[in-house]
Amino acid sequence: MSPLATLALVLALAGCATWQAPADMSDAGLRSRAVSATSQGVRVSAAVLSADDTRRMFGTDLSGAQVQPVWVEIQNGTSQPMWLLRTGTDPDYFSPLEVAWSAHTTLGGSVNAAIDEHFDKLGFKNPIAPGTTRAGIIFTNPERGMKLFNVDVLGRQTLVPFTLFLPVPQQAPAGGATAAQIAFLYPASELTDYRDLGALRAALERLPGAAAQGEPLNVVLVGELEDIGAAMVRRNYHRDARAADLNQQVFGRRPDVVLRKQVETRVPSTWIRVWRAPVTFEGRAVYVGQVARPVGGRFAPADATDLRAHADVDEARNHLVQDMMYSGGLDKLGFARGAAAGARSDGLRAVLFFATRPLSLADVQILEWAPLVKP
Amino acid sequence: MQIAALFAAVLFGCASPQQSSTSQSDYKSRAVTRTEGGLRVSAATLSAEESAALYGAPLASQRIQPVWIEVENRDDRPYFLLSPGLDPNFYPASEAAEAMAQSDPDRLAELDRRFHGLAFHNPVPPGATVSGFVLTNLDEAVKVVQLDLVANGRAWSFSMFTAVPGFRGDYHASGVFRRELYAPGQIVNYTDDAAFRTALEALPCCATNKDGSKKGDPLNLVVVGGLDDAFPALVRRGWRPTEQTWSGSILRMASSFLSRERYAYAPVSNLYLFGRSQDLALQKARDNIHQRNHLRLWLSPMLYHGKQVWIGQISRDIGSRLTIHSPTLTTHKIDPDVDEARAALMEDMAYSQSLVKLGLLEGVGAAARRAPRENLTTDPYYTDGLRSVLVFERRPVSLADIEVLPWVAVAR
Repeated sequence: MSPLATLALVLALAGCATWQAPADMSDAGLRSRAVSATSQGVRVSAAVLSADDTRRMFGTDLSGAQVQPVWVEIQNGTSQPMWLLRTGTDPDYFSPLEVAWSAHTTLGGSVNAAIDEHFDKLGFKNPIAPGTTRAGIIFTNPERGMKLFNVDVLGRQTLVPFTLFLPVPQQAPAGGATAAQIAFLYPASELTDYRDLGALRAALERLPGAAAQGEPLNVVLVGELEDIGAAMVRRNYHRDARAADLNQQVFGRRPDVVLRKQVETRVPSTWIRVWRAPVTFEGRAVYVGQVARPVGGRFAPADATDLRAHADVDEARNHLVQDMMYSGGLDKLGFARGAAAGARSDGLRAVLFFATRPLSLADVQILEWAPLVKP
Repeated sequence: MQIAALFAAVLFGCASPQQSSTSQSDYKSRAVTRTEGGLRVSAATLSAEESAALYGAPLASQRIQPVWIEVENRDDRPYFLLSPGLDPNFYPASEAAEAMAQSDPDRLAELDRRFHGLAFHNPVPPGATVSGFVLTNLDEAVKVVQLDLVANGRAWSFSMFTAVPGFRGDYHASGVFRRELYAPGQIVNYTDDAAFRTALEALPCCATNKDGSKKGDPLNLVVVGGLDDAFPALVRRGWRPTEQTWSGSILRMASSFLSRERYAYAPVSNLYLFGRSQDLALQKARDNIHQRNHLRLWLSPMLYHGKQVWIGQISRDIGSRLTIHSPTLTTHKIDPDVDEARAALMEDMAYSQSLVKLGLLEGVGAAARRAPRENLTTDPYYTDGLRSVLVFERRPVSLADIEVLPWVAVAR
């Protein structure tokens, strides 16, 4: 190929380096459909950008980059500076310039510099000074349907956590959702509230041992969906329900929520499928669920569709417990009987109690319920 | 306190390893042991040959490395060992068995049984001793083993640097790593925050080349803590020493067990401070966002309330993670927004269970986006000119207990 032809090919491949700084970066539309919450003098609003929003604000469509931009605004009504901890929103978030890179063009020199500057300008900037409001974009990994969005706002010896359920445009009804709308609602008459741990344990041991399809219900989560969600997101679990999950039936219905851990190879990893149970503990919700990992694990092909649970469900359960210890949200832990036992399973279910206030490894109360014994 | 002794402790744990043969049966004899809080813990990392012999499968071929752990519990309550503390991307035994069996069902059944039997199983009841393996991602030469043990209402944390056999030399035969890095008269212990801030702000802006004639990357990080506080935090969040960068002082100090030649042609460049190349270089493990975040640390002659003070540099390599990025002829080796990597580390460490204080102070000198400075490899960078200070503590710290030092409020 002649040098001229090579140059022509390069220019053709480069798509002519035509990126233009967008004229319209207004966040009015995002603001109007944002989901908001207020706690301890901090107000958080957030909305997932649609493909149109992304093109309008960034001058390029990022969906092919597997990046989901989220607009976040934080109003700091406290008397101290606050920081948004992006790691708590998505442990694998992208930096603005990392995303800008994906929009770079060959031979783009000054255009690429302009792209960098533009992305950086729109990125969320810490800190949020007392009495001020800041808004910006956080670049997250994509979730479909309703995004489970955790925002940890850090101040001096203070953490203000928020968990929002954000509709993904074109995929979920606008206006956001509350945890109550996501989880199954029981009529008050069908709920039994327990105030005593012993009585709760007995009730948990009476819950179904397995889904109708036979996979054991080996975990119980106690707490509001927001608190459970915050702990899970910090450890890289995200909402991700697949066909195989939705086939599972407990209480005559499919799972209310399915979370999946994101692992580095991006193959399907450990899942948690939960169903709200007709039980509360001190007024807080109780979910019974399945934790397992797919056969093949990280070594399965990336396009593997075989989501059968590996038989060693106890191993997956025990590792979930360990993971949650680091989440800052685990308050109490116990093991109860009641899960369907199998050749590879001791029939125990891990019972995890979640709290809103941040907790350390040394704060976890371990209940003397059913003993976990070495297999 | 002698810095040299601290430094030696950082390298090899508190116990002297007893033996260093590379035969396949004596990993227990070279285990590093520590005792505290009614717990005695031991750990040893297996070489590729040792793990192949023990597991009956070449685990190292999939970059899986078993760490042997023994916990003796003399406390009054059961303890749980947390595998994600050793490596957030550790491998469940059953998953490793699947990886090694390929698709042979008989082989899978055999390996599954074998791997399950070798695995560390919780809990460790009071009065009992439990041992077994946790399967981690492979490190060569040196492995930081971070053990988090949790019981009802209490937690203990131990960090140990273990040697991986198979490298030339015999590290413990030599006392060379106990060489003093600083004379006692050089060491200053700061107990006053203002004086500490002044001392940190007086440090050079940047690392340099070997003869100090050219400025390199900005020194934008101060890590306060050592083996039992700062290192656990880093390891829990997936930071690991890079094999290429066990160079500089630590390599010299430990040269009889690390093969010097192995690193002579390493791609990671050396930067210099205090007249020597970095004492430690770390990178965030595997394929997550901070994979290409590199940090280099130099032990300083300062102490803060008796804790070691490390001066460091953090930056992010950008470019290859996104699947659709265009090929480009004008690349930067580092993200020119170096403050982003600094902020990312600070935010990440908030989740480490060990961060007790954070602050920002001057010392780097600002460089505007439109007037960037360059590092030694001529990568442009810009910065607000601040360095972050991260103070770690051994006791578990919740997210709501992190103190913010009232120094500089960053305004970007």
